[in-house]
Amino acid sequence: MPTPFKFLVVLLSLWMTLSALPARAQDAAAPVPEAQTDVVSAQSQATDQLNAAREELKRLTDLVDKAKTDDNRLAELKVDVDATAKSIIGTSIATRPRLDEIKARLAELGDPPAEGAPPEAGIVSQERERLIAERGEINALTGDAENLSIQATKLSNSITATRRALFSNTLLQHTTINLEVLQSASSSFVTEGQELSRSLTSWISFAWKYKRLQLLTAIFLSLCAALFFLSGSYRLFSPLIRRDVTDMEPGYITRLSVAFWSTMIPTTAASAFVLSSYFFLQSFNVLRPDIAPIIAITLAVSVGLLFVATLANAVLAPSEGNWRLVRVSNLGARRLMFAIIAMATINCLDYLLGGISEAMGSPVVLTVVKSLFASLFIGFILMIMALIKPILPVGAPLDSPGLPWPRAMSVLFVVAGGLLIATAVIGYVGLARFIATQIVVTSAILVTAYIGILTGKAVAKQNAFADTVVGRFLEKRFGMGQVALDQAGLAAGLGIYALVVVFFIPLILLQWGFKIADIQAWAYRLFTEIKIGSITISLVGIFAGILLFAAGYLITRWFQRWLDGSVMARSRVDAGVRNSIRTGVGYLGVGLAGLIGISAAGLDLSSLALVAGALSLGVGFGLQNIVSNFVSGLILLVERPFKVGDWVVTGTTEGFVKRISVRATEIETFQRQSIMVPNSLFINASVGNWTHRNKLGRSDIPVIVGYDTAPRKVMDLLLEIAEAHPLVLRNPSPMAVFTAFGETTMTFELRVYVADIVNGGGVRNDLRLEIFERFRAEGIGSPFLQQTVEEEPALAVQEVARDAPAVTDEDAPMAVDAKPVTTPRRPRRVGSSTPGEPS
Amino acid sequence: MKTASCAFLLVILAAVPAAAATITNKDTETAVLVVVEGESRMEIAIDAGGSESICPAGCFLTTPSGDRIGLQGDENVEIINGSAVVK
Repeated sequence: MPTPFKFLVVLLSLWMTLSALPARAQDAAAPVPEAQTDVVSAQSQATDQLNAAREELKRLTDLVDKAKTDDNRLAELKVDVDATAKSIIGTSIATRPRLDEIKARLAELGDPPAEGAPPEAGIVSQERERLIAERGEINALTGDAENLSIQATKLSNSITATRRALFSNTLLQHTTINLEVLQSASSSFVTEGQELSRSLTSWISFAWKYKRLQLLTAIFLSLCAALFFLSGSYRLFSPLIRRDVTDMEPGYITRLSVAFWSTMIPTTAASAFVLSSYFFLQSFNVLRPDIAPIIAITLAVSVGLLFVATLANAVLAPSEGNWRLVRVSNLGARRLMFAIIAMATINCLDYLLGGISEAMGSPVVLTVVKSLFASLFIGFILMIMALIKPILPVGAPLDSPGLPWPRAMSVLFVVAGGLLIATAVIGYVGLARFIATQIVVTSAILVTAYIGILTGKAVAKQNAFADTVVGRFLEKRFGMGQVALDQAGLAAGLGIYALVVVFFIPLILLQWGFKIADIQAWAYRLFTEIKIGSITISLVGIFAGILLFAAGYLITRWFQRWLDGSVMARSRVDAGVRNSIRTGVGYLGVGLAGLIGISAAGLDLSSLALVAGALSLGVGFGLQNIVSNFVSGLILLVERPFKVGDWVVTGTTEGFVKRISVRATEIETFQRQSIMVPNSLFINASVGNWTHRNKLGRSDIPVIVGYDTAPRKVMDLLLEIAEAHPLVLRNPSPMAVFTAFGETTMTFELRVYVADIVNGGGVRNDLRLEIFERFRAEGIGSPFLQQTVEEEPALAVQEVARDAPAVTDEDAPMAVDAKPVTTPRRPRRVGSSTPGEPS
Repeated sequence: MKTASCAFLLVILAAVPAAAATITNKDTETAVLVVVEGESRMEIAIDAGGSESICPAGCFLTTPSGDRIGLQGDENVEIINGSAVVK
């Protein structure tokens, strides 16, 4: 860098530093006005928000007033009102920090001087006044919010009260039933019929004349939808929903699942078809406002009828007795089915006619009378059902005549029917209609849900899934094994349970007059905040936390694999270091994932302090060992006294390190036995490592020779043999040492270095063989063979074995073998006593 | 993995937060607070050094010093010198 340029840079930086200083000083000097503008804007923002909330509340109050009779709308409005109340509290919370600031500043300024005290500076009293004024404003604002919040809660409560009143009004509205009412109803029935036919014909002619193309398109598209939904579902799910004619004795699961799916799938398909047709008709503007509700209710009612009819057919199977889910006689099944469908039809007609009356604007009395008749009919059918004799005696064939119901059942039917009729006749037609609908629809839904739960239970049973159509298909198509099929069965069972819960509980609640907005709010509350006493649990938060933890765990594993396989493998890092880094990264990643998960679950770590305190006591006593082992494992990873693959000796354990994990290290002995050694043992006791820095090691072979051989010759021979072996290192060179005088023998030791001590056993074996052969060839061993000394040589050998501490156990007997002359009568095979020696 | 998951679950179960606002009176005399919760406006008295859990679903509080604050329902509030300090 040229000097002038350097100088310029220095100058420039100096100038920047200097110029920054006064600026900072200015900042410090003038915090108040800036903060004030900030605050003013925050406050005005809060005021704006409050005003908006006030407007919103006013609007909602008007809407509630207007929707006094519309339960559905009220349920939605209540959700809005509650949200507004929440936002009001939120607004006032936003002003809290400024209030704290003001209080702090006021405390700094202190109280105004008492009378007689010297007056304070004008600027101080001004600021105090200003702050006190602002404090008052904020308090006024919060007071406003308080009042608004009370208003909102009042509105919300009044909505609840209105809805309750509405419900009981609809149910318990009383109409006196007498001849006059019936007459006026019949006359308005006639008028309604005329009106209906008039508007229908006028609509059809209107649609045909002016909207022909749209009408045809809508019908065409509806037919396409029917093709798609109905025949598509039949084709796709036919094994699930069609009864196999060839199957003479279908299993329980098969019957259950066919019943469940043959109800569910066609009903769902029909609902989809009905919705799409209505949507097409509506979007092509074919419907007129007076016709649209009639069409809608007709479609809805036909889906309901279809549902009940398919369900009854699925459960009772009047024509195919072997598929029947309940054990009733053929005749009984047929009659029951007839009764159920009759009740459903009457109920549906009631709703259809009610809808038409509403659309036509007929007098209420007509609807009431229609419902009256419907309730009466349903009551009669219920009472007649008590007379059906469907019960089969045990062991009787399906076509035998049945027995009457058990007493309780028939009484139940009669009482229900009688109650229904009585309620309708004394004028509580709304209640009667409600009960009739519940009897038909709710019981149908409950039965379906029950069949669903039974199916789920049956499918989840061990090995049951493999016998089903789907199981066989999976087995054939994907070649799934028995275990996989069993697990799939469990998953399918749980899935069916979930379906039943998610689908049928809302359906039943809707039936009972709850609104979708209610159910949504409940579900939302169920998932976001469950309150138990003063504790709130958020299922979603916990679920998100677990999900994040799982994701973090997977990412850690992936990162570990990538680091190990791609980065460290290529940079030729030592295997032990690789293992240490890998494990360390694993611990770190899992810990991090845990922290992220916990904070995502919205959990307060500070409350963990209590648990940690309790745990530390437990750690002190019970978990002491485990913690000590864990910490020892970490130290092993950092210090690395040995690594995976090393040959270590600790205490009585010797072998190769296979794996260093959290609590223990796995060592595989030479006999291939895995031993888990607690990590703390490695830290507290001395550990021998044959292969710590390098694998170079010394191997010793003691040799015992009689005194009639020249020692130098023996040593030269030993060295020669050692140097001839390819695995024996030249540097450090092998040594032959004369180690001891025995009574009749001299002890030599051949010490050789091998590059890999793991090969030591093999090398020793080779060398001993070679020594034996060479000694015999050289005649060194032969004098012993011819000697008639009986006991002494053996004794000498034993002593040698005991005297040589450096000689391992395995070597001692081999040394004996290496000197054949000493043990002529006890030949042993080399290595027979050393099964664990590495080779 | 098993160990880690178990530990994680334990931590989650242990750290489920308490949700109602806890008010602790740090003054030497009884503090009388006006709490507006839902439709009702009520006065509660907290003894010197005592504490109380109120309004799990949000409320307004008027402290002895006359200041009004809104609470969400999960705060820890201390009454010091008659005014509220939200932690």
